[in-house]
Amino acid sequence: MADQNTPDQGGIAGHGSFFQPTDLSPQEAQAATEWVRKEVDKRRYQNEERVDDIREHMWELEKDGEIIVHRIKDEHEPIDVETLYGWNKRIPTKQLWHHKSCGQCGNIPGYPASLLWLMNNLGMQPGKDYLDETDQTSCTAWNYHGSGIGNVESLAAVFLRNFHQAYVSGKQHGYDDGHFFPLVHCGTSFGNYKEIRKYLIESAELREKVTKILDKLGRTVDGKLVIPEEVVHYSEWVHVMRNRIASELQTIDMSNIRVTMHVACHYYKMIHEDAVYDPNVLGGNRTAIGTAMAQALGAQVIDYSTWYDCCGFGFRHIISEREFTRSFTIDRKIKVAQEEAQADVMLGNDTGCITTMDKNQWIGKAHNQPYQVPIMAEVQLAALACGADPFKIVQLQWHASPVEELVEKMGISWADAKANFEAYLKEVEKGNIEYLYNPELAYGGTN
Amino acid sequence: MQDIFNEITQDFRYDHELNGCLNCGICTATCPSAHFYDYSPREIVQLLWTENVEQVYNAMQEKIWACAQCMTCAARCPFRNSPGGLVMIMREVAIKHGFESAKQVLRPFGRVMLKLITTGNQLSPDMIQPDAFPDWGPNIQKVEGDLQTLRNAIPVKTLQTVETAWEVSLKTSVEMYTIWEMTGVLSSLETMDENLYDVIEDFIDEKREDYEDWLEEQEED
Ligand code: SF4
Ligand code: SF4
Repeated sequence: MADQNTPDQGGIAGHGSFFQPTDLSPQEAQAATEWVRKEVDKRRYQNEERVDDIREHMWELEKDGEIIVHRIKDEHEPIDVETLYGWNKRIPTKQLWHHKSCGQCGNIPGYPASLLWLMNNLGMQPGKDYLDETDQTSCTAWNYHGSGIGNVESLAAVFLRNFHQAYVSGKQHGYDDGHFFPLVHCGTSFGNYKEIRKYLIESAELREKVTKILDKLGRTVDGKLVIPEEVVHYSEWVHVMRNRIASELQTIDMSNIRVTMHVACHYYKMIHEDAVYDPNVLGGNRTAIGTAMAQALGAQVIDYSTWYDCCGFGFRHIISEREFTRSFTIDRKIKVAQEEAQADVMLGNDTGCITTMDKNQWIGKAHNQPYQVPIMAEVQLAALACGADPFKIVQLQWHASPVEELVEKMGISWADAKANFEAYLKEVEKGNIEYLYNPELAYGGTN
Repeated sequence: MQDIFNEITQDFRYDHELNGCLNCGICTATCPSAHFYDYSPREIVQLLWTENVEQVYNAMQEKIWACAQCMTCAARCPFRNSPGGLVMIMREVAIKHGFESAKQVLRPFGRVMLKLITTGNQLSPDMIQPDAFPDWGPNIQKVEGDLQTLRNAIPVKTLQTVETAWEVSLKTSVEMYTIWEMTGVLSSLETMDENLYDVIEDFIDEKREDYEDWLEEQEED
């Protein structure tokens, strides 16, 4: 071992040739780790000195007539939550413009379907309380983080284009500008949009460049850029609605279900001052979303030692460096959730994570790592607990992990649900298709 | 080499992402890529911080592509650095200058880039097929059936598509192409992979023509 660490031998893998072992005694190593746990893992909830709040600069820019802020109004019925630094964040609960995630929609369609199903069951009216339309692009940050093709300017233009559409989307349904507020489905979009918003507010040069593009697209209002008051993730909506979901809609007792949570890195590690924390949820040591929802449903939430780790998705890696992705996800997430937490389910809140952890279990067997845990989004589990059909609504048929076991443990017959669904597929072939809302609403007046 | 270094440090994000470095290694301790590659975010930050121009250039050949862009480092660094963010600046510069190493690394990602640039979406249903992902196992889906029928069984109208993750209006796609053009994304792509660029150009031209035709039809009606 010692030889490996000499500079000539190239050092310990990943640490560069100049790496020197610390030679700490086990006690000293333990003390050092404790320090990290206390000071770094616990993200200094409420102790943080106030860092710059970008929203304040946004109001100044608006006052100077440079931008228009898409506001959250009383009619959006917002609910306040606290973020990592103790700041207030307002989460609108209705009149939402669903900003879809390309990964979820392409790959795990049970997210958006479960979300719309919950909204309908809480009495929301499609076309008034929410809108799902075709006039939106993906945030394209997947390409940017994966390949470096794309740049800050293109990401900013895409952000502003989509959020302009959200701002004006009420018009064709007879409402004022700003009626619908964007609800971002994707963890990567959420992180990316917040980062880009920060750059836009801070850089006059960037604003000038993208204004030219947005003008050309006809996507400014009175020559100004439209920027939302908050960037809101769907998990935050689920979070503030969790008690209503549990008290008004839940039909299944979840007390025997052991839940582990994996929150998307881009939810709480990018622009982390903005992530929702609650001192009553895992001591405020972890971001509250997802976990608080599982607790509200009465499930057992199990913390685990690699909670903070990423899933291994890596944007490009899941496609072209799969050994990295699957090794990381098995070693650091799936194995730990199974062995340490004996989890009945691992919940996520972003496509990349769910895809990574869901699809990379089968290959483990080839490496003597036969770890298997069902993986789904927290909104899918919430819908299941409220009696949603595991196939027609929760769309679990697209998952590779052993979700059948969880469904059965919740007292739902997988076999019956599957037989029902197969019968429904025959109806679909004949053109008898069911919708959660009037499909005409999806087309916003343009082709 | 110095020019490349200057280009990185002059990026307006640079001062956000690098505020000093304790060399504490917290970023590396938590970095998924450091588990599996000869890669360390601490090393990247140190090279930039100490202005080691040559080693920065070398790191741009391969090391920067190991980063998984999870930003775990950024959330943990006591100095509020973002090693992952610095890597992103370095990647952009590597691409702009058409580094051969970047071309090599990105080649297997081409199919996804094609999809992303032309549709804005990533893995569409028609891409997630067992033949493309044999390591995902025989049960990628739990129900057999024609893909279009399975998609039509999703009760959300916009998702009943196969080639894209959701249905995107033509106008929207055309707007996205304008953004690619005006922000230099298409020319970056041309530098990286000319063949892929040609395929994408044809696709974009076709969509634009379709949109023009549609607009004309609307006028006639
Ligand atoms: S963003 Fe990159 S450098 Fe930072 S922890 Fe993740 S993989 Fe490592
Ligand atoms: S965590 Fe921050 S200060 Fe520590 S080595 Fe990494 S970049 Fe430097």
